[in-house]
Amino acid sequence: MNDQARILVVDDEPQIARVIRTGLKTHGYDVRVAADGVSALETFDDWHPDLVLTDLSMPNLDGLQLCQRLRALSQLPIIILSVRGEEKMKVEALDAGADDYVTKPFGMDELLARIRAQLRRLSATPKRETSSHVLQVGDFRIDLEARSVIVKESEVHLTPKEYDLLVHFVQNAGKVLTHHALLSAVWGGNYTEQGEYLRVFVGQLRKKIEPTPSAPRYILTEPWVGYRFNPDS
Amino acid sequence: MAIVGVAALTATFKLLNAHINAATVALAFLLVVLFVATWWGARPAVIASVLSVLCFNFFFLPPFGTLTVEAPDNWIALLAFLITAITVGQLSANAKRRTEEAEAGRQEIERLYQELRDAFERASHAEALRQSEKLKSALLDAVTHDIRTPLTSIKASVSTLLETPGKTTMEKGVGLDAEERQEMLQVIDEECDRLDRFVEGLIELARIEAGEMHLRRSWGTIDEILAAAFARAEPLTRHHQMRINLSDEMPVVQVDPRAVSEVVFTLVDNAAKYSPAGSTIVVTAEPADNGFLEVAVESAGEGIPVELRERVFDKFFRATRDGDTSDVRQPKGSGMGLAVAKGIVEAHGGRIWIENGREGRATRVAFTLLMDDPIAQPYSTSTSDSSKAATF
Repeated sequence: MNDQARILVVDDEPQIARVIRTGLKTHGYDVRVAADGVSALETFDDWHPDLVLTDLSMPNLDGLQLCQRLRALSQLPIIILSVRGEEKMKVEALDAGADDYVTKPFGMDELLARIRAQLRRLSATPKRETSSHVLQVGDFRIDLEARSVIVKESEVHLTPKEYDLLVHFVQNAGKVLTHHALLSAVWGGNYTEQGEYLRVFVGQLRKKIEPTPSAPRYILTEPWVGYRFNPDS
Repeated sequence: MAIVGVAALTATFKLLNAHINAATVALAFLLVVLFVATWWGARPAVIASVLSVLCFNFFFLPPFGTLTVEAPDNWIALLAFLITAITVGQLSANAKRRTEEAEAGRQEIERLYQELRDAFERASHAEALRQSEKLKSALLDAVTHDIRTPLTSIKASVSTLLETPGKTTMEKGVGLDAEERQEMLQVIDEECDRLDRFVEGLIELARIEAGEMHLRRSWGTIDEILAAAFARAEPLTRHHQMRINLSDEMPVVQVDPRAVSEVVFTLVDNAAKYSPAGSTIVVTAEPADNGFLEVAVESAGEGIPVELRERVFDKFFRATRDGDTSDVRQPKGSGMGLAVAKGIVEAHGGRIWIENGREGRATRVAFTLLMDDPIAQPYSTSTSDSSKAATF
């Protein structure tokens, strides 16, 4: 899949689009470029890309609106390219369905790594094994019926909220989840401003599942944005 | 005071002996009541009235030295005096009270007005501060964006060149071929120039804002200045028709030729950026009123809405981004060109503005330069200080 993966690059800065296109082509990706949200949607309809890489500030349809429109059509991975200083819009885009973000200026290796991670996530979405109530991804195996969690062969005992949080992480492995999105998914819409709940429960969960809770490898912090769950240590 | 007044008057009349007419005494007592009422109000006036009646009766109505009254007509006079004294006292006291109330009311209104004015001043100060903070953060965002965008292209290109192994065009697989390497290097080159232009613009703006722009004035003709600007803009106007209208008799002007050429370049560059390929850009230079020379650049395209025509001269303002974003593919400028142009024109004592173009063209950006003796103009002192003069 990696060899022929189709990537749609959306940026109104021709030079940036040009460099990304060349950089990605040399790594074997099939690339097309759109200069704004509207032509991105047109290309999406005709070409069916595997992943979209989009800038935030663009004329006509901006990155945020593009995320919303694409999410309504497809579950394909969306990576945001944002200039530092666009934090608020970046978080809104993640809440609107984007999967990850890269801050400008970025190195090509970082961008390629993020693209690989998202494409891998696409091909390795948590598998529901044999019976439909087992979630298996990376080092994690969760039996949804028995509510049991096994990390690297050993069982972990979680409180109901810790369990809910971990299940949400596992179901969205590799994706950047904003504080808002996590609170809303696990605690419900009334708690979306209670960031301290989340910090406490993430701390407890890390103590139970991380080999070294002070240097987490599974639940990674995305500063000022949220968390990202990496199922492989 | 009522008692003192009445006693003093009684004593005075007594000393002057009893030959004085009783009516005169009564009127004098009334005067005392009137004064007491005017100065000290209703209650002292009543006291003064009663005392006056008693004293009048005791000392001045026969039989003297008693509080009895002999003649019945004197009873009437006494009663009339009492009523008159009290009424006069009350009226006078009322008038005084009203005056005082009116004064107090006036003072209260003044105080309220002052308070209101202070409150307004505080509010407008806070608002101005808030606006200024907002502006600062908007400027910072604009600068951040304008610096990080070329940096992004450079960083992405360099990291690609560093991390991707080279390959000959015959090889298959991951790697950059010679053409792609060349493209990356070209992007780096162009984006470095773009950053440099941006920094140069920032420095020029800062210089203009600090009032430190030194013009290197020299005598020359406007067509030389225009020619220099066109030569520089040539790569940008390849897809447009250029038409130059110069008046036959062009006067010599004493301006900073590089600075004015920069203004013309900015206007032509903008005209080329914001008008469709193939359309005509018209540059006109002609004498205007009051010893001014007017240079104008006209172009087709959508034009700039009237309400944005002042704002486009603000630094970092871009009509296509910050105003109406009607066309998708319009290129972005740095948002500094027109601000710098305005600074240069004003330093020369001229002005710059935007209006509707002639013959149906959408936009006409015009500026004036003074043809007369420039010594009378601000900034002209720098002409004698060319050793320190900043360059354009």
